[in-house]
Amino acid sequence: MPDPRPAAHVLRRVPLFVAGLGALAVCAALSLALGARSVPLSTVWEALTGAAHGPDALVVTGLRVPRTVVALAVGAALGVAGAVVQGITRNPLASPTTLGINAGAGFAVVTAIYALHLTRPVQYVWFAFAGAAAAALFAQALARRAGDLDPVRLALGGTVLQLVLLSWTSTVMLASKRSLDEARFWLAGSLAERPLSVLYPVLPTLVIGLVVALALTPALNALALGDDSAQALGVPVSRIRTVGGLAVVLLAASAVAVAGPLAFIGLAAPHLVRQLLRTSDHRVLVPGCLIAGPLLLLAADILGRLVIRPSELQVGIISAFLGAPLLALLARKVAR
Amino acid sequence: MNDVVRSAKPLGSPTQDPATGRKAERSRIPLVALAGLVVLCALVTVSVANGEIPLPPVEAVKGLFGAGEPGTVLVVQEFRAPRMVAAIVAGAGLAVGGALLQRLFRNPLASPDVMGVTGGASFGAVAMLAAGASQVMMPLAALGGGLLAAVLLGVFGWRSGTSVTRLVLVGLAVQAGLSAAVSFMVVSFPTELAGSALQWTTGSVYGRTWTEVWSAGGAVVVGLVLAFVLHRRLAVLDLGDDSAGTLGLNTHTARLQILVIAIVLASLAAALTGPVAFVALAVPHMVRFLAGPPTAGTLALSALAGAVLLLASDLVAQYLLPVSGLPVGVVTATLGAPWLLVLMIRQSSSVNRSVR
Repeated sequence: MPDPRPAAHVLRRVPLFVAGLGALAVCAALSLALGARSVPLSTVWEALTGAAHGPDALVVTGLRVPRTVVALAVGAALGVAGAVVQGITRNPLASPTTLGINAGAGFAVVTAIYALHLTRPVQYVWFAFAGAAAAALFAQALARRAGDLDPVRLALGGTVLQLVLLSWTSTVMLASKRSLDEARFWLAGSLAERPLSVLYPVLPTLVIGLVVALALTPALNALALGDDSAQALGVPVSRIRTVGGLAVVLLAASAVAVAGPLAFIGLAAPHLVRQLLRTSDHRVLVPGCLIAGPLLLLAADILGRLVIRPSELQVGIISAFLGAPLLALLARKVAR
Repeated sequence: MNDVVRSAKPLGSPTQDPATGRKAERSRIPLVALAGLVVLCALVTVSVANGEIPLPPVEAVKGLFGAGEPGTVLVVQEFRAPRMVAAIVAGAGLAVGGALLQRLFRNPLASPDVMGVTGGASFGAVAMLAAGASQVMMPLAALGGGLLAAVLLGVFGWRSGTSVTRLVLVGLAVQAGLSAAVSFMVVSFPTELAGSALQWTTGSVYGRTWTEVWSAGGAVVVGLVLAFVLHRRLAVLDLGDDSAGTLGLNTHTARLQILVIAIVLASLAAALTGPVAFVALAVPHMVRFLAGPPTAGTLALSALAGAVLLLASDLVAQYLLPVSGLPVGVVTATLGAPWLLVLMIRQSSSVNRSVR
């Protein structure tokens, strides 16, 4: 329900937002400091300001800064995409994954590896983006009826599409051992070995997606009342849903293109924000996810670097491991 | 969420006279069942007649029943029949499991694939692979994994009764956690093992033996019988918790019983064939389209349709695909998906807006 006094409504949440930003800053600092070769925070600071040189500083500026920046961008994109997709479908179980984003990207990348003999994640970016966007647009085209997106058909069609694409991905990987060996690491979802240059190509789509998502928030609140009420309030329901769907495609496809399939961030971030802020006002939820998404992703990434040091676990695996119990606990609170 | 919940209620055009509509739907069940049986018999014949040594269909069917040449009997009974029976039993188990879950949760997306049961089966089997155990242990491990998923679902999802939303969310979480465990193992495996793990987690009926088929298959049949016995409670639950309570049904107990049956059915099926995607999700939708609102009859039809779908897909995987040795799960998804999509598009005429 939109609050008649938006300013007061948002203001009450300022302390929590500040706390979230603080946690994010702490995570970013830890992300710069921790890893196979841990660096003291003081050295991190010196490296960032250019005062320190040597191997430690190189690790920080050459590897960890890009990685952290990529994590922040990807996490923000996934978190916001999750909030918007749950808003336009009015389904708390919806996430970019249920649109077939991850499966589409996975299939495109595996096929590209099979056909074009690619070997590095940097080369996968465009294939992943194209696959993810194509899958999500197809899922939305399936769900389109009389110029509007039908939430139920979107969820069902997306799930169907996802299952089909996953099984085709397995087919390609079973047919070619080389593809299996190359792709299984990318398919786990990872932030390792991602230079900043991976992020540049998707930066425009990411920014457009974020701006559109933030602009949509009041309309999403109206949608939450139901189609008829929203229509009565003068909100162009079908147009909002289409634009929201496109924003989700831009955001999630950019994220997947950079980091590979990350299943849980988009689902967990909105739930986390809703629980912590005790609101489903999208004007609070979407900015909240802008913080919660990167926070979850960075925390998972840091943990992945620490659990089996000096090797590391893919962030996709960690985020699912962490996200699953979190979601289960949140679900316990849903008293219905 | 409300839309999803609402959409799973029985279909029916609002303009139709309820009495006549019901009559028409009832008369369709035997017809569809007959067609399904004919198709199943045809598929069984094809299945036993084809293989390394093609047999004449009549000889092969005779061999299936133990008549005819000893050589034929051996080939058919020992090599071809187990695979065929495994596909039939698992298809029926998955489909009924899916139908029960969809109806219980009033959610068209609820299925063992989404709720973590088949993910648990994959986890168990892949963990066995990682431990270096033999092929014989895999079905047991899969069953264990499926039940592990059910226990996790219970531990996290259980709090003074069953809430639909909570169980679905927890199921989703269980599925995600277990599939993360699987992908962790796949990433850390050498390539060879990763390949066989992938083969297994896609679902395959290759190389099933009578021992596996009898043990898992027998249990599936018991589960199916229980499902039909409990069907009446499901029908009462459909009225809503309040009405069901007024009618003297303990809704929590009834829901738990049905949930356990559905999970056990799906785990057993997954133990037999691996987590074959899509059968559990798609078959109930197809049956609802063909035969109308859910009744005990459509539950039986679901079992039949699941068997037909899985057996047909296995035949396609064996004989029609250019690359040999692909798991049947690839075919069920590829065959079932367009079907389900067509149903979706045809069902959603503007009249039926509120019921999908």
